[in-house]
Amino acid sequence: MDIQFEKVSYTYQVNTPFSYQALKDINLEIKTGEFVAIVGHTGSGKSTLLQHINGLLLPTEGRVQVGDFLLSRKNKRQDLKKLREKAGVVFQYPEHQLFEETVERDISFGLKNFQVPADEIQTRIMDALEKVHLSEDVLAKSPFELSGGQMRRVAIAGVLAMNPEVLILDEPTAGLDPKGQQDIMNMFNHLHKTKNMTTILVTHQMNHALAYADHIFVLADGSVQMEGTPKQIFSQADELKKANLDMPDVLSLIKRINQMFGTDIAYERRQPAALAKEIAERLRENKRL
Amino acid sequence: MMPAIEFRDVYFRYNEDAPWVLKKFNLKIKANETVAIIGHNGSGKSTIAKLANGLLVPQAGEILINDRKLTTSNVWEIRQKIGMVFQNPENQFVGTTVKDDVAFGLENRGVSRKEMIERIHTSLTEVGMEDYQNHEPHNLSGGQKQRVAIASVMATYPGILLLDEATSMLDPRGRKEILSTINDLKEELEITMVMITHDLHEITLADRVIVMNEGQIYIDTTVDQLFNDHQGLQSIGLSLPLTVELAIELEQYDYQFATYPLDNEEFLEALWTSNLKK
Repeated sequence: MDIQFEKVSYTYQVNTPFSYQALKDINLEIKTGEFVAIVGHTGSGKSTLLQHINGLLLPTEGRVQVGDFLLSRKNKRQDLKKLREKAGVVFQYPEHQLFEETVERDISFGLKNFQVPADEIQTRIMDALEKVHLSEDVLAKSPFELSGGQMRRVAIAGVLAMNPEVLILDEPTAGLDPKGQQDIMNMFNHLHKTKNMTTILVTHQMNHALAYADHIFVLADGSVQMEGTPKQIFSQADELKKANLDMPDVLSLIKRINQMFGTDIAYERRQPAALAKEIAERLRENKRL
Repeated sequence: MMPAIEFRDVYFRYNEDAPWVLKKFNLKIKANETVAIIGHNGSGKSTIAKLANGLLVPQAGEILINDRKLTTSNVWEIRQKIGMVFQNPENQFVGTTVKDDVAFGLENRGVSRKEMIERIHTSLTEVGMEDYQNHEPHNLSGGQKQRVAIASVMATYPGILLLDEATSMLDPRGRKEILSTINDLKEELEITMVMITHDLHEITLADRVIVMNEGQIYIDTTVDQLFNDHQGLQSIGLSLPLTVELAIELEQYDYQFATYPLDNEEFLEALWTSNLKK
């Protein structure tokens, strides 16, 4: 499902003294199978934008095309349920939406709502559990007995069980410890690669945008300020600064090393071990010269 | 000097079938000390905060705040001394506008109108939310809400500030702003701060770092000594900052680091020195 925003604006509480324009004339395109990051400072309009993708918000002006679905003010009455089955959203703190008595019932809630045939529900649940790396024995437990990280996985499993074609992630790692963050991002990356799922990551963590995205949109003040590959985006440090965003840690460190030692080390998505090897080799070469 | 917070042989678990979250737990935090408590999710660190202001009651042991034993009869009085900011700002909003929200805690404490207006202005300015005074909370983004929550607590001038992963929802820049604000406030007001956190920037503000594991203190140390036991920290589920990870890898290539660097500048300085000696 290709996604296209055409001149989209959105204003909260329109025609009231509290009217607030969160999105201004947004144009963007996301192709099927891409891993896209939407980054921006707090209040830049990221979360408002993502709610347009599955029709939770309709644009005040302009139109959003998601696969066969056209979303606009003029085109209100259509079956958004079908769209929401295909475009799954993992909201911030999804575990706060858990409510059922058991994990199994919680995961199957959405499936029943979307009239998935009863004989298919069990396989879908088992599939979703496997995707989020939880074992079968959590099924009978209350979701509220689980740890925070496990609860989040259950909530994510509920979204994945719908077999969405597009997965929209709103700050999916917020509140997890660093190891939990890494685990969950690796999980999404794996799903993206193996299931060819279009993945849209809304985040203010530049480190994650750098490590996983094919394409990045930078939002500032409700507009798209920059777009491009991670390499293109993060080579424009000044522009990024204007959007109140920092460079990813690893890039600012490499940049400083290059300045200090006159090297030209590149990141190339290297893990620390490989990067350390590169640094050591380059410094040694440098000494020989 | 009397400790601001003291735990004596505290035992706590959420119910009788559950394992102990804290086991014979002892802790002393001095007045005006800044302490970071870290540990993986489920290590018991948030429980400490909730016990300290009486949101949870231990099954055994004593908790003392400013040398007074916390009991059910003085819990309300003691809570005035402990300002608490939680991880999720959604659960701590009471006002219909940003301004009302900050005013709520002040009204409860009988602060005069004139002072209230002043304090609301000051605290909202400190967190960079002064332009949002009349906004409704549900229209704010998560980070903005959290800044208001922090402003609400700071406006009441608590002697002890407990931050339970309070910056984990903020973007890096917002986080830095708030941390420097909290740091300024601490210097001006002589406040005891306990930060329960995963964030390295928060940790580096602390005089002391306590690492929790399985309901007990794993290490009680200072920031620059923290990563000496990096293998141990990883084995209890903590991850290392990039500069520390790189330093450890570089040791294999005969680079030496006296202490593990916590930021880029420390890293570069150590790398430079070590490179010269090679």
